[in-house]
Amino acid sequence: MTTTDIPVNLTGNPLPAPAARRRSRGQWVDRIVHRLAAGSGVIVLLMMAALVSVLFYAAAPSIKTFGLKFFTETSWRPNALEKIKRTPEGKIIRDADGEAVVDTIPPVFGALPVIYGTAVSSAIALLFAVPMSLGTAMFLIRIAPAKLAGPVSFLVEFLAAIPSIAFGLWGLFVLAPFLQSHVEPSLNAGFGAIPGLRWLHYDGMPTGRDMLAGGLVLGIMVLPIITAVSRDVLRAVPQTQIEGTLALGATWWQSCREMLRYSRSGLFGAVMLGLARAAGETMAVTMVIGNVNQVVASPLAPAQTMASLLANQFAEADGGLHRSALLQVALILLLMSLAFNVVARALVVGKQPTVTQ
Amino acid sequence: MPIVAQNPMARVYSRFMYALCIAFALLIIGVLVLIIGYLVSIGWRSVSVSFFTENPQPYGSGRYPGGMLNGLVGTSVLLAVSGVVGIPIGILAGVYLSEYSANSKLAAPVRFVSDVLAGVPSIVVGILGYELLVVPLGGYNGWAGALALAFIMIPIVTRTTEEMLRLVPKSYREASVALGATKARTILRVVIPAATGGLVTGIMLALARVAGETAPLLFTALGTRLLTVNPNQPFPSLTKQIYNYATGPYKEQKELAWAGILVLISLILVLNVAIRLLSQRRGAR
Repeated sequence: MTTTDIPVNLTGNPLPAPAARRRSRGQWVDRIVHRLAAGSGVIVLLMMAALVSVLFYAAAPSIKTFGLKFFTETSWRPNALEKIKRTPEGKIIRDADGEAVVDTIPPVFGALPVIYGTAVSSAIALLFAVPMSLGTAMFLIRIAPAKLAGPVSFLVEFLAAIPSIAFGLWGLFVLAPFLQSHVEPSLNAGFGAIPGLRWLHYDGMPTGRDMLAGGLVLGIMVLPIITAVSRDVLRAVPQTQIEGTLALGATWWQSCREMLRYSRSGLFGAVMLGLARAAGETMAVTMVIGNVNQVVASPLAPAQTMASLLANQFAEADGGLHRSALLQVALILLLMSLAFNVVARALVVGKQPTVTQ
Repeated sequence: MPIVAQNPMARVYSRFMYALCIAFALLIIGVLVLIIGYLVSIGWRSVSVSFFTENPQPYGSGRYPGGMLNGLVGTSVLLAVSGVVGIPIGILAGVYLSEYSANSKLAAPVRFVSDVLAGVPSIVVGILGYELLVVPLGGYNGWAGALALAFIMIPIVTRTTEEMLRLVPKSYREASVALGATKARTILRVVIPAATGGLVTGIMLALARVAGETAPLLFTALGTRLLTVNPNQPFPSLTKQIYNYATGPYKEQKELAWAGILVLISLILVLNVAIRLLSQRRGAR
């Protein structure tokens, strides 16, 4: 930046430099402050670069070994298996010394169960949180008087300040036992009895620590962000738009629906922000989702998310392929949340939707 | 837009949705009250003087279960170190975005990246800390934990700093420059003092956020039962201690975990109320 040499630089147009220039103390300070500020900006960029490149580098062995199969493989087995070789008829094959021939099956890692667990628990979270958040945002904008809207907003935002581990503790000791004893038995019986819902039935005793519990805790945790962002997005709907619908004879809800339609891309952005938060959430989910690496359709089955897998295994993983596979999961999680955030940012900050009619 | 206001069903439906919106708002507040109420009512019974004065004791020892002094000290040290690293970088980056972005090609990417960084899952940050600071240094240590927290703080502080500095009227800057001040002097003596309240709000927001973080500490600071202020070793923190005790087998330790949560949430509530009061005072001025 050559412009730093010049004391007055508000206009952005460099002034002609004085003929005999002697740097005063003020000019030195000026340069240093500019350099420090720009340097900090560069640090922010480097943080992102470090995040992506380090994870890519450390995940490389796993990426090389498994390729695209990583996304479809369902087992996660850090140890090599030894299996006695058998003929198709089931007879043990023996070598010349009479010893059973042993096949060594190498460790295998697949991310499908954790991707599935993350997707289902996030979907349950959104199913729960989106209607609640939109309703509350509508309440804050179109129903609540200003005196009430302030405190309600504060309370909703305070929900965002509660640490994840507190939700985990509450989910583990309050929500999970409650679901186990009061909700899940009848829910499971219902899934079993209704013909179309048979696939949601869980063949076992639901424990309360499953995808449903994880999804509900996540839903509570993403309420504040979806509510706050959709409130701001809905507030940006021009007053004339609302008045117009009412003048045409719309009922209260019909005009609300027009508001939702008008700001649908911003609202979609709000949901994406919630999704990003839900998918990356770690502690609360780890405590309530049951941590079983499997793909089972029923929401009453325990599962594992990408984040909970990392929380459970990363510290204990030996070096080599196990750690590398975990890093690949972390990389997928990072890229996914980056994608959600980029899309959300483009939708929320970007231009307001144009009126279609 | 098909409008069927004459249709009586549309009116009934509208009434129903109106009531539903109110019900949802009440439900969210109900959930909040339920959770906080439960944490307070259980935690309250377990908080004692020894929570603040003793370290965790192993099962079977005379003073079992002890307290969480180590976690309180550990979290304070982690917050202090991460603040010393993260706050200046965050504020300077915010200054850059607000004051130096006019002719800069760097500003737009920095703004974009700091926005996106704020949404990175905290466990991924912990893993980065492991790869960059635990593997090379040969073991879990407090520095890695503190820097992971700083990593989370920086985008938050950057974003709030930029927003707050942009609220300072342009005329302040023009007046300062007209008096012959350099740009740096204008920023340091005029712009930042005018926005101090907002900057403090942003800093406290970031501190409140990282004080409750557990995931980035799992593979960096790791946690320890001992009281230590030496960041070269595995380092204790309140949240990790709570996690260990909550998922452990013993009843007394679970009670301590509840007490820990109560203390943590009180701390965060105090920070939040302080933030609110600060920003109100700023608004009144």
